[in-house]
Amino acid sequence: MSSVDPDRVILDPRFAPPFPQAALPVLRNPQLRKNVAHAIDVIQGKRGKLVAEKTDWQTLRAAASDLRTHVLENLGEYLVQFEERCTAAGGVVHWAADAAEARSIILDLLRQENANEVIKIKTMTSAEIQLNPFLEANGVNVFETDLAEIILQLGEEEPSHIVVPALHVNRSQVREIFARRMGLKNLSDDPKELTNAARTYLRQKFLTIPTAIGGANSLIAETGSVAVVESEGNGRMCLTLPRTLITLAGIEKVIPRFHDLEVILQLLARSATGERMNPYTSLWTGVVPGDGPQKFHVVLLDNGRSSILAKPKQRQTLKCIRCAACMNACPVYRQTGGHAYGSVYPGPIGAILTPQLMNMQHAQSLPFASSLCGACYEVCPVKINIPEVLLELRSQVVNQERKQAGRIFDPLDLGLRIANFLFAGAGRFHAAQRMGRIGARLFTRKDGWIHSLPSVGAKWTQTRDLRGLPPQNFHEWWAARRKEAK
Amino acid sequence: MRASLFITCYNDTLFPETGRAVVRLLERLGVELEFNPQQTCCGQMHANTGFRREAFAQAKRFIQIYRDAETVVAPSSSCVAMMRDQYPGLIEELGDDALRKEFEALLPRIYELSEFLIDRLGVEDVGSYFPHRVAYHASCHGVRALHLGERPYRLLAKVRGLELVPIPNAERCCGFGGTFSVKNAEVSSAMLAAKLQDVVSTRAEYCTALDNSCLMHLGGTMHRQYVGMKTIHLAEILANSEADNERFPVEAIR
Amino acid sequence: MNTSSRQGILERVRSATGAAAPARIAEAYAALPRDYVRQGTMTHEACLDRMIERLREYDAEVVETAPEQLLAAIGAQLEASGKRVFVAPEGLPSEWLIPGFDWKVDRGLATAEIEAADGVVTAAFCGIADSGTIALHHSPAEGRRVLTLLPDWHLCVLRASQVVETLPEYFSRCPQPPALATYISGPSATADIEMTRIKGVHGPRFLHVLLVHDDSIF
Repeated sequence: MSSVDPDRVILDPRFAPPFPQAALPVLRNPQLRKNVAHAIDVIQGKRGKLVAEKTDWQTLRAAASDLRTHVLENLGEYLVQFEERCTAAGGVVHWAADAAEARSIILDLLRQENANEVIKIKTMTSAEIQLNPFLEANGVNVFETDLAEIILQLGEEEPSHIVVPALHVNRSQVREIFARRMGLKNLSDDPKELTNAARTYLRQKFLTIPTAIGGANSLIAETGSVAVVESEGNGRMCLTLPRTLITLAGIEKVIPRFHDLEVILQLLARSATGERMNPYTSLWTGVVPGDGPQKFHVVLLDNGRSSILAKPKQRQTLKCIRCAACMNACPVYRQTGGHAYGSVYPGPIGAILTPQLMNMQHAQSLPFASSLCGACYEVCPVKINIPEVLLELRSQVVNQERKQAGRIFDPLDLGLRIANFLFAGAGRFHAAQRMGRIGARLFTRKDGWIHSLPSVGAKWTQTRDLRGLPPQNFHEWWAARRKEAK
Repeated sequence: MRASLFITCYNDTLFPETGRAVVRLLERLGVELEFNPQQTCCGQMHANTGFRREAFAQAKRFIQIYRDAETVVAPSSSCVAMMRDQYPGLIEELGDDALRKEFEALLPRIYELSEFLIDRLGVEDVGSYFPHRVAYHASCHGVRALHLGERPYRLLAKVRGLELVPIPNAERCCGFGGTFSVKNAEVSSAMLAAKLQDVVSTRAEYCTALDNSCLMHLGGTMHRQYVGMKTIHLAEILANSEADNERFPVEAIR
Repeated sequence: MNTSSRQGILERVRSATGAAAPARIAEAYAALPRDYVRQGTMTHEACLDRMIERLREYDAEVVETAPEQLLAAIGAQLEASGKRVFVAPEGLPSEWLIPGFDWKVDRGLATAEIEAADGVVTAAFCGIADSGTIALHHSPAEGRRVLTLLPDWHLCVLRASQVVETLPEYFSRCPQPPALATYISGPSATADIEMTRIKGVHGPRFLHVLLVHDDSIF
């Protein structure tokens, strides 16, 4: 069974279909829905146990939230400090205003090294700037080394989760991809064998390719160090074996001091994978003679982050430490997986981050891709009030739409504007209720229920009946009762 | 004890029996109830769909209508959540200092029904009798916005004859989400289907909640699919006493 | 081009947030609440038991030994491994290079030589019991990072006095941040295929820890 989605997945917010539309093929894919639900149930189960045992979980969240807020309030100074210390330690710091500039800086660095091959550690930031296709188009072979990323790269798939990007792919789908692309005819679908195949496939690449590109979980201002958190060891390979290392990181990744990792690390693995600590965390500072890459570059990426920073109600979006707990908790994500969001950042964080990175010019359906249940806010280790930001972005989208001429006829918008008019006065409201009762009779069947409605109402009656409007509503009953009493 | 009932726009129009039950219940408990006929809507639907100007207009009207009420009771956790979580922001953005002061004075006097019973009246046993197997759906606003916690369960525990069955994944959203149910109807239905499985697995006769919004979503699909279960607002369970069971039988079809 | 991007980004960032004076920033930083657990409450014995428990949860083999028995314990581990060629960091105590094995001391070993070795023996900086984490600061006795990465078998000598209960206690043992650090919490693993945890993707698949009961308090 091919794992390539018949409805092509587009993770470019400029071109992806709106969420309600993008969700449809996914909703009709039981295999994918099962894969997603299984994966998040496993992580949620493990996370739940660890959070229950961690008596200072809430105080850690509060500390992390305050720490990240403090960093964002002083981002400029911390970035400059990071640059100073990293440079003093032998690193070279570059600044990229946008995705295009970041890509071009990285390509230039590769050209300076005469590198036509790179090994890569998984970094969603590189997917955000669409780095791989750009490098490939410019003659550089990119070898992903993270197992999930290999699965996606070889299977020509798109990531659907920021921590477990291939969670929508099951073992037999992986077997099929590896058998086909690694030429391993007798490969079974045992995850152990599959993982071994990946290990063998990559070993020589680690030992021979001298240039690596990766990301960062934290940039430490105090020391100019970088911290990378991982499970497989491919990160350590890429961070220590090559001659040249390029680290791409969003400007919001900075934290003030080395000791601040004590807060972040206690929250991150528990939130992301349901472990007390991930298998490997690497920390390095600039260039250390004799140990690891002797050329080290950091590319600091803005790409819309400074605009988000400028908006007080939205700034908290940048506190994110990319743990994906929000999408694991999200009942919407559970049904749709990540591809429906049309972005490398899916789920609740994606619903607020993606349209903001696009300066609200694209992905306007994403802030509405939520029932506002609040489960994300409850689990977010840095206490991003995602529902609050969703509501703010919804109002921005509506204000954009108010300016569009045709919008006035959108049935839902029209309905809401009429409702607002009616709610402004009891007299109108009551009259509308009476008229509505009469009108509803047209649709009410003998059993007293409405089974089918037109226009926006049809979206309700697709799957639900609606009880017919009662002959006497509450305020009429109250008025009648009062009259009787007199 | 006096209280002013905010019935909510959708209960007024679609679920008057919930309002009648609230009246029966609170009067039985000795509360002198008022009903201001000027009331319409709290503005939640508009706020949640991004129509903040309109939501503000409704919020302002609400505050003005209830500014002198001793207490306000609403049988809807989502509406009370709207007032606590969103009114401050709306007022800051679009209102003035005078309105803010009025709202700050009013806010502590606003209660969701279970809060009113437990926190304000200090009662758990409200004299209820409901001899049925019941599953309680914990709506998201109640759980995460109002932090109702144990309140509904404490009330249910005192209902004579009632067998409470827990719903698996009780705190997972049913998928209603207001206008989400039509703007993202298919995803909403997928979430509903998952929730329905969990609810039906309890083999309860009734599914209850503190919000008719969730219940009309669940009940709507139960009715569509001929599922042998009914929905009922918690107020109607609590209002039902042995005597009432004769005079005001719980509606046969909901 | 890059300097103007730098300027542009910093200008946008500063106008977004205002730019406080360094003294104010330091003040605000110092005032950040730190109400989380910063000091463990376990006795040292319980703490060591917890460390061992967590290591064994990760399928690391843990053997306790008294300081006087350390060399014998190292010898026993090496013998039991069935392996011959071991890499040693340059600063590893020379007594630990038990005779009878092929020792490659790292005075600039080529990657191919490290890759060809069967195992590595190192000291450690700290053990964190809560998560069963071994912290390496890559001092001379711990070795370059590649030494604990390529060989498939890693024997780590951890002193009891190096073990703390909580992660913040580890950080309080670092008055100077290390230039390099690796935190190991079990052998490498992936759960990328159906969330089935598979161990030993890259990095040593076999981790052996000798816990030395030295009584000196750090």
